[in-house]
Amino acid sequence: MLPDWMTKTEEYVPPHDGGAFYYKTLKRLGGVLSRLKAESGREGKRSLPAWLKLVVLLLYVLFLSLSRDRLITMGFVASGLLVLAMMPPKDIWSVLKPGFFAAGLSAVLFLPKVIMDPGSFMNSLTVVVKVLMSVIAVGIFNRRTQWNHVTGALRKFHVPGVVIFMIDITFRFIVLLGNLMTEMLTALQLRSVGRNRRKYDSVGGIMGTVFVRGAEMNREMYEAMQCRGFTDDYRGL
Amino acid sequence: MHIPENYLSPSTCAVMTAAAVPVWVHSVKKIKEVLPKEKIAMIGVGAAFSFLGMMFNVPLVGGTTGHAVGGTLIALLFGPEAACLGVSIALLLQAVLFGDGGILAFGANCFNMAFVLPFVGYGVYSLIMKGASAGSKPGRAYLAAAVGSYVGICCAALCCAIEFGIQPMLFHDAAGNALYCPYDLSIAIPAMMIPHMAVAGVVEAAFTVAIYAFVRKTAPDMTYEAIRGQLPVREEGRKGHFPVYALVAVLIAAVPLGLLATGTAWGEWGADEIAEIAETGSPLGYTPQGMADGFSLDVLMPDYTFGEMSEVAAYILSAVIGAALLIIIFKLISIPLKGKNVANAS
Repeated sequence: MLPDWMTKTEEYVPPHDGGAFYYKTLKRLGGVLSRLKAESGREGKRSLPAWLKLVVLLLYVLFLSLSRDRLITMGFVASGLLVLAMMPPKDIWSVLKPGFFAAGLSAVLFLPKVIMDPGSFMNSLTVVVKVLMSVIAVGIFNRRTQWNHVTGALRKFHVPGVVIFMIDITFRFIVLLGNLMTEMLTALQLRSVGRNRRKYDSVGGIMGTVFVRGAEMNREMYEAMQCRGFTDDYRGL
Repeated sequence: MHIPENYLSPSTCAVMTAAAVPVWVHSVKKIKEVLPKEKIAMIGVGAAFSFLGMMFNVPLVGGTTGHAVGGTLIALLFGPEAACLGVSIALLLQAVLFGDGGILAFGANCFNMAFVLPFVGYGVYSLIMKGASAGSKPGRAYLAAAVGSYVGICCAALCCAIEFGIQPMLFHDAAGNALYCPYDLSIAIPAMMIPHMAVAGVVEAAFTVAIYAFVRKTAPDMTYEAIRGQLPVREEGRKGHFPVYALVAVLIAAVPLGLLATGTAWGEWGADEIAEIAETGSPLGYTPQGMADGFSLDVLMPDYTFGEMSEVAAYILSAVIGAALLIIIFKLISIPLKGKNVANAS
């Protein structure tokens, strides 16, 4: 004889769970982080040494932002575009995409100024162009330089090994941590059926776990590298 | 030959743009069919030739200036449809970045220089080349290129003159003063045609033949005949296009020569100059209303310079930016297009 409650058709509809805002935000964040793969650049046979490229890049961005003479700004724009024009089509697009994003963002920031004072249009446009060209320059550098050559170049400038190590690890782990965060949020969402009134309690938990896991992974990788003979020195790489 | 803002009435501009749209659509379709993907990316180089050619101003009879367009040249390298797109985008950059040619008049400028010029030029070229066997001496091809480009630019100038000339007939105020371009057909046609037939056409022919001959010798796979399989290409011709890029660099370095010709091209006066222009014997004496309070757009580098900056340096930088942008744009255009499958091609 079955108990009563087993014979009844169950019509449970989970109550609408509001406040999905923070889940969405965190998930979005995780998704963006996991896409931040340090894209591997390709170097041509006759590529300049990485340290020289790094110096040129830093000087380019510095002087482009300092230049107040429009002719000199245009000179920077022209040289940047010239280098870009020599790249294969796919690379050009992947360099331009973040450039357009950054330029669009700065254009939005300048919009109120231009609306209030239309006379400043040219100046604002110059700044937007500078942002675009700086991001393009960094993009070209990324596309055209292997990551291990970048760390090698940093070592050449006597950047302490531990700093390079941190940069190196950050770039590699940011993707893993983003993945981890997305996975944990998905797991949490699947397990919390119905209305969860204590959603915000778990924010700290997730962030904390990501942090702890990050530190753990970092330590493990460092130990693994030491076991393989890593002496905190990037010169040899 | 760049029609500036407010020389044509907005309705004329609309009609001309409407006439240019089907040509653009046809060109894009045809390019996808005929050209392999990597050739689509190379159209930018042809467009850069055209852009640079338009920067070499030459003095014309009567105190005005003119320049080569190079539409026929791109047609010889990549086909008339590619020339249409190449010149159109070069014109767009000139209008938006350098204020050369109006934004509203963009359709009309494209109709003249991107449609009439390359299609007529290439049509004349293929008429002359009809019956020539593949591998025959290149002399006939060069002659055909010269005649084609000469006829092409003259036809484009004629279209431009007609567009100018019908303005005072159609649009004038109660006092009989023209609202837009003040010169009718009897003035516009001779004023445009004589200098173009005497000087600019010859310059265009020389520019076309010189560059076409250079490309044919150094990068024979970059010609339209080779793409369609009519011109045999040896394997070593397919290697790099270094000489072609070098030629672009040389042209950029030589661009300041275009500054030697002072004076404004016929029909490209600013609204502040036009009242003093004495085209009919006496100064016009008024600024046409449509020009005085017409549409105008601030551009980054008006007339390829900025203020009192060094003119030569600014001109060279404009040339670099224009050429680089054109190459980048066509490389980007080639990404989504599949292009003709090379495996099936000849």
